[in-house]
Amino acid sequence: MRSLIFFAWFPLSILAATKTYDFNVGWTTANPDGLFDRRTMGINGKWPLPTIEVDKGDRVVVNLYNGLGDQNTSLHFHGLFQNGTNAMDGPAGVTQCPVAPGQSIVYDFVVDQPGTYWYHAHVKGQYPDGLRGAFIVHDAADPHKDLYDSEIVLTFSDWYHEQMSVLISEFVSIANPTGAEPVPQCALINDSRDVKINVEAGKTYLFRMVNIGAFAAQYIWFEGHTMRVVEVDGVYTKPTEASLIYLTAAQRVSVLITMRNDTSANFPFSGSMDEDLFDAVPPGLNPNVTGWLVYSDKNENPQPAELAEFDPFDDFVLEPVDEQELLQAPDYSFNLDVVMDNLADGANYAFFNDITYVKPKVPTLYTALSAGDMATNPIIYGHNTNPFVLKHNEVVEIVLNNLDPGKHPFHLLYRSEEEAGIYNASIAHDMPRIPMRRDVVLALLTGSERIWLFHCHLEWHMVSGLTATMIEAPLELQKTQKIPEGHLDQCKAQGLPTEGNAAGNTVNFLDLAGENKPPPRLPAGFTTRGIVALVFSVISALVGLAVIGWYGAAGAGK
Amino acid sequence: MPRVFAVPVFFVVFRETLETGIVLSVLLSFLKQTVGGEENDPKVYKRLVRQVWFGALAGFFICLVLGGAFIGTFYSLGKDLWGGSEDLWEGIFCLIASIIITIMGAAILRLSKMQAKWSVKIAAALEAEKSKGLGAKARKYAMVLLPFITVLREGLEAVVFVGGVSLSEPPSAFPIPVITGLLAGAAVGWLIYKGGNTIKIQWFLIASTMVLYLVAAGLFSRAVWGFETWKYGRLVGGDVAETGTGPGSYDIRSSVWHVNCCSPVFNGGGGWSVFNALLGWQNSATYGSVISYNCYWIAVSLGFLTMLFHEKRGHYPFMKPSAASSLEGSDNGADKGIESEKGNILSVTQPARVEV
Repeated sequence: MRSLIFFAWFPLSILAATKTYDFNVGWTTANPDGLFDRRTMGINGKWPLPTIEVDKGDRVVVNLYNGLGDQNTSLHFHGLFQNGTNAMDGPAGVTQCPVAPGQSIVYDFVVDQPGTYWYHAHVKGQYPDGLRGAFIVHDAADPHKDLYDSEIVLTFSDWYHEQMSVLISEFVSIANPTGAEPVPQCALINDSRDVKINVEAGKTYLFRMVNIGAFAAQYIWFEGHTMRVVEVDGVYTKPTEASLIYLTAAQRVSVLITMRNDTSANFPFSGSMDEDLFDAVPPGLNPNVTGWLVYSDKNENPQPAELAEFDPFDDFVLEPVDEQELLQAPDYSFNLDVVMDNLADGANYAFFNDITYVKPKVPTLYTALSAGDMATNPIIYGHNTNPFVLKHNEVVEIVLNNLDPGKHPFHLLYRSEEEAGIYNASIAHDMPRIPMRRDVVLALLTGSERIWLFHCHLEWHMVSGLTATMIEAPLELQKTQKIPEGHLDQCKAQGLPTEGNAAGNTVNFLDLAGENKPPPRLPAGFTTRGIVALVFSVISALVGLAVIGWYGAAGAGK
Repeated sequence: MPRVFAVPVFFVVFRETLETGIVLSVLLSFLKQTVGGEENDPKVYKRLVRQVWFGALAGFFICLVLGGAFIGTFYSLGKDLWGGSEDLWEGIFCLIASIIITIMGAAILRLSKMQAKWSVKIAAALEAEKSKGLGAKARKYAMVLLPFITVLREGLEAVVFVGGVSLSEPPSAFPIPVITGLLAGAAVGWLIYKGGNTIKIQWFLIASTMVLYLVAAGLFSRAVWGFETWKYGRLVGGDVAETGTGPGSYDIRSSVWHVNCCSPVFNGGGGWSVFNALLGWQNSATYGSVISYNCYWIAVSLGFLTMLFHEKRGHYPFMKPSAASSLEGSDNGADKGIESEKGNILSVTQPARVEV
C-alpha cells in the first residue's frame, strides 16, 4: 500500500486515515541466500512481505485469509498497545482462536504510537517460515523530524532452510535432551543478501532497523559512518552516538546517519549473527550479511573489513526525549526465575519458576471476559498459562533471575526500567536483554486493561514454554471491550469454546479438570517400579548364590 | 579404590593361578609317588622336581612379558579406537568377560575332578612320548616341557580373560589385583598340595566362586546397559556426556530407576564403581539391565542344578541314562584313580614310568 504524507500543520486527528490491507497468506517458494529453494509463507503470493506504513492516529484494517491449507495462522503487531482493542493483538490462545485454513479474520485497530514495529505470525513458532514484516508508524510530531531528509527501513533476520514444523519436532524431542536450538543457515538484510541502498551525498537518513529473526541477535555497523540512536522500540531518545549496535530478535532501533560529502566510494554495512547461543557452529557457516550504501553506481562495492572484536553500544546511556521519571516504589513485585529442565518425555523445556507455558483451551482474553467477578482470580486462567493478575496504573516490579547460561531477549509490553544488572535503569524499551545469571529487575507502569504475554522472544524458547501471561485489569476489560462477532464465529466454526476457564469449564471457573498440561515431571529417585526391580534382582542373586553353595558343598571333602 | 584395584582382574588371576597350582601339585605329587619313594634315587627325584619348577617359572615369566605387552598395546591403541562407540565396545567386552567367567567359574568347585583330569593328561602325555619314540631327550625334558607348556597356556588364557574382564578399567587398576591374585592363588594352591581338598578349603573356594559369579552377573547386566546407552547416545548425537547424571543423560523410555547421584561412572565413581564392579549397580537402570541380571541368575542356577543332577543320577534331566554312564555310577570323584584320605591322587590307572 502506498503511504500518504501529511504535512505537520494539519491536526492528525482530522486527517487520520484508514489503511486497509488484504492479506492472503499462502505458500510460495523463496531462495533469499541463493543456496536453497524453500517453501516459504508469503502474502498475496509474494515474499518478502510488504512493509506496513501508517501514520500515528491511523486506523489499520487487516483482512487476513488463511490460504496455507495445512497450518493455522494469526497475525500479531509487535509493540502496539492495542488500547481498547486487546482482541486485535493476535497471539492465538491468548486473545483469539487460531485462524484455521480457509478461515478469515479481521484486525481492526487504531495506532496511537509512533515508531518502528513489526508484524508476524503468532501461532506455534510459525513466523520464521517467512510470515514477518516491518510495521512503520510515521509521526508528524516527531521531535527528530528536522534532523533527517528521508527514511530507509532495514530488516535483519536469520534464515533457516528447513521448515519450522520439522525443526520444532527435532528441537522438542527426546533426541535433544540439552535443548540445543537449531542453528540458522545464514543472515539476511531486507530478506535478501547484498542489498544496495542508494544514498545521496551530504544527506541525513533515518535508518529504521528491525530484527525480525527467530533466534540470532545481530551486531550491526556501518563502515565509515557513525550512527546516532534516536529511537528504540517505539520510544524517542536523545540522539546518542554509536558505532556498533547489538540488536536482539524483535528489537528495533532507529538511527540517523549523515552521508559523506563525496560520492567516490561506496561503503558496506553489515549484520553479524551472535554465535554465542549457537550450540555448535557448523563448519562453513557464514554469520555475516552485508549491504552497501551506494553513493554512485560507478563505484565498486568493497567487502567489509573484519572486526577484531565486537564492542557494542551500551544502551545504558540512552535518555528518553520525554525525560520520563524513574518509577518509585513498586505496588506489586514478583519473581520470575528462568530455568531449563527435562520432562518425562525426555525433551527439554523452558520454565518461569516451575511452570512451562501450555496454551489454554479457551483464549485467556475470552476467559477474562466470561468470568464475571472471578476474573481477578488467577486460578481460572489455568496453572500452565503462568498467569499474573495486575491492576490498573500500578508500578509492577518483576525480578527476573536468569538461571540459564544463555542470553534471552524478553518481550514485555511496556516501557520498562531495568533497575539492576548491566543495563541499569533509565532507558525504556520493551526488549530488555537478560544477561546470564544476573538479577534484572524490571519496573513497569501498567496502563490500559489488556492481556499480554511476557516471554522470551527467541522463537525456540517460546515453543518450549518460556512465557507468562499478564492479565491487566480484567474487570475493566469486561466493561470496556468486547470480542468482535467475526472472531467468535471463527472460533465456533472450528468447534472451539469461547467462554469458560482455561479448561473450558463455564459452570465452575475454579474447576480446572481437563486443562491442557505439559508432560509430567521426571520421577525423582526410586519409583515403585524401581524398588520392585531392585528387590527381584537381589532375590534372584541370593537364589543363585545358594545354588552355587549347594553345588560346591556336594563336592567337598571327597 | 576402584582406580587401583580392579575386582574382576583379581578373581580371574586368582582362579588361573590356582589351576596352575593344581597342575603343579599334581605333577609334584605324581613325581613323589613314582620317583620319590625310598627305593628310588633321590638325585633323580630332585632333578625332576627342579625341572618341573624350571619349566613352570619359565612359562610364568614369558607369560608376564607377553601379557604385559598385549594389555599395554591393547590399551594404548584401543582407547583411541573406541571413541564415539565407547559404550558399544565396553558392552561387548563386559559380555565376553561375563561369559568367560561363567564358564570357567564352576570348575574350581570340583578340585578332585580337576586333579584327576590333569593326572590323566600328564600320564597320557608321558605315554605318548614314550610310544612315539621321540627319543631320550624329549622324555628327559618331559618334566620341563609339561609344566612350561601348561603354565604358558594357562597364563595366556589368564591374560586374555583379564583383558576381556577389565578393558573398561583404567590401566592403574591392574598391578595390585594381578599381584594379589597371584599370591592368593599360589597360597591356596600350596595349601591344597599340602593338605588336600579339605572342607575348609572347599568353603573358601565356594565363597570365592560366589563372589566371582556376582561379578559375572554384574558384568552381564552392564553389557546390556552399555548397549542401551550406546543406542541412546547415537539418537542424541553426542550430547549425553554433557548432561552428567541428571535428566537428559539417560533414555527415559527404558528407565526402571534413576537417581541423580551415585553414578559408578561420573567423576570417577568412587565407592559406587566398586558397587558396580561387584554387583553391577547402576544409578540409571534400564529394563534391559535389570531383566538381563535376573535372567543371568536364573540361567546360572539352572546350570548348576543341572550339573548336580547329572552328578547324582548319571544323566541329564529329561534324558535317558546311557548304558556306560550307569555303570560308572557317581561321577563325583576321581573315577580313574584311588584317593587317599586327604584326597590326593595316589595312583592312576595308567601308571607311566619316567625314564631317565
